[in-house]
Amino acid sequence: MNVLAIETATAACAVGLRTDDGFEVGWVADEDRHHTEVLATSISRLLSEARLRARDLDRVVVDRGPGLFTGLRVGLATALGLSEGTGCALVGVTSLELLAHASHESGTRGTLVCAVDGRRGEVFVQTFALEESVTAVSGPAVARPRDVVVEWATNGALVTFTGDGVQRYLRDFAAVPNGTVDHQWVPSIAAALALGSTRAPVARVEPLYLREADAVANFATRERP
Amino acid sequence: MALALAIETSCDDTAAAVVDSSWRVHSSVVESSIDQHRAFGGVVPELAGRAHLTTIGPVVHRALRDAGLDPRAPAIDVVAVTSGPGLIGSLLIGLSAAKAYALAWDVPFVGVNHLEGHLFAPLLERPDLRWPLVTLLVSGGHSMIVRQHGPGEHVVLGETIDDAAGEAYDKVARWLGLTYPGGPEIDRLAGEGDARALQLPVSMTGDDFDFSFSGLKTAVVRATQKNPEVSLADVAASFQGAVAEQLLRKLRRTLETYDDVQGVALAGGVAANSALRRGVEELARDFAIPSLLPSLSMCTDNAAMIAAAGLHRFAHDGPSEFSLSARPNWSLSEVS
Ligand SMILES: [Zn+2]
Repeated sequence: MNVLAIETATAACAVGLRTDDGFEVGWVADEDRHHTEVLATSISRLLSEARLRARDLDRVVVDRGPGLFTGLRVGLATALGLSEGTGCALVGVTSLELLAHASHESGTRGTLVCAVDGRRGEVFVQTFALEESVTAVSGPAVARPRDVVVEWATNGALVTFTGDGVQRYLRDFAAVPNGTVDHQWVPSIAAALALGSTRAPVARVEPLYLREADAVANFATRERP
Repeated sequence: MALALAIETSCDDTAAAVVDSSWRVHSSVVESSIDQHRAFGGVVPELAGRAHLTTIGPVVHRALRDAGLDPRAPAIDVVAVTSGPGLIGSLLIGLSAAKAYALAWDVPFVGVNHLEGHLFAPLLERPDLRWPLVTLLVSGGHSMIVRQHGPGEHVVLGETIDDAAGEAYDKVARWLGLTYPGGPEIDRLAGEGDARALQLPVSMTGDDFDFSFSGLKTAVVRATQKNPEVSLADVAASFQGAVAEQLLRKLRRTLETYDDVQGVALAGGVAANSALRRGVEELARDFAIPSLLPSLSMCTDNAAMIAAAGLHRFAHDGPSEFSLSARPNWSLSEVS
């Protein structure tokens, strides 16, 4: 199965390709440039390195968030165009589960809290249990980093924190006495390829925003007495 | 003959169209998210971005189907897409999707200036036209007079020095308590009103071809406060009259200055305005040249005009690179 993976929901812009004949490669594109400028170019380069054309793809797996709205839409629009245009299957994964699976792959066990930077002083968080396999023990949610830190420090259970939301508020997260930090910041493209190869395809991938459109939120606040 | 699929997502409309190089429109689909913005009195970028992502797949699919093409393997030669100006978040969705479709079908893609697209709209319906042309391009975000020597060869003669005409419409509509978008509402009301009811200034800054609309809203506010008995319809008619008069006076000055002009065209969303259409027709009659008034669906944002401009750009400048970025402030003067 030829699988292409796209991750643009965070500051990084990552692409990966796994092919029938064992070719697997993933890379993080130039972070200083916009996702739009590097994504299609990177995909085109990956395909030609593997001597494939887009129509040879069986699947496109895409990070549907949570993360930066504009970035994740660039990824989703690209994945959509590729799958609509070629007829290949589409699979959605979340940036939080990509972090969890990569952490699991590198040997982390126990409770893992993944946090993706949501800007505006907030993070997108989800808690996973990492044992033989990876299980989500809470749904993805938006929270203030301070609240997450206080919750775990009070709770006292052993916990590992990871994600660029942890990196951004590192001092807070590192202060949790019962916590450790797994220093991986970017959702793993290898995890996306692995998950995307096994998960059942869907007709359409819905973005995971976890937050109302800015103006909707502002409007709601403004209307309140 | 080349066939183009075009995608347009610069503002609140998600559009796709298939057009060939003889400018025959095989299909044109437009989905608007305007209903979601109405309550906010303006287009909300994040809402527009979300709507584009939801709509773009089905819209492109329908455009291909309507043109009798197989969406998985269409006989498309080039994918054209608006890459600016417009809302950055909206532009990026069309641009990303366009690149992906081009990759999927192994065809080139080309980025198009939205305003150049508007200039092609009148041409699509009038293949018999002669050059040079003068086009009055008025929309929510732009007001300009452009002289065209041929397709894609244009010189911007004059622009608004402050607000666009469409912006003035929206501001005045908000002041009058009308629903967003204000243009069609004011146009409808104006049809029942008297344009001479209020004395509004027609700004004519200098001998150039530039416009100014920022003072007009203040003038409307002041005049309605001073004459509270004047009906909404009369206010709308007076305001619309003042906008049209300024645009038409500058257009007349252009036609007086350039006596080789073979036609006068109207383009952009505000070109749907009835007073303006009547005025341009009269002007054309006075100068004994044809007027090119595109149908309403061609005036407002659509992808057929982007396809036409894209086919021209592709034939003359070749394809764009996959690294092409969106340009939210790309001015027409930078395109040649
Ligand atoms: Zn427009």
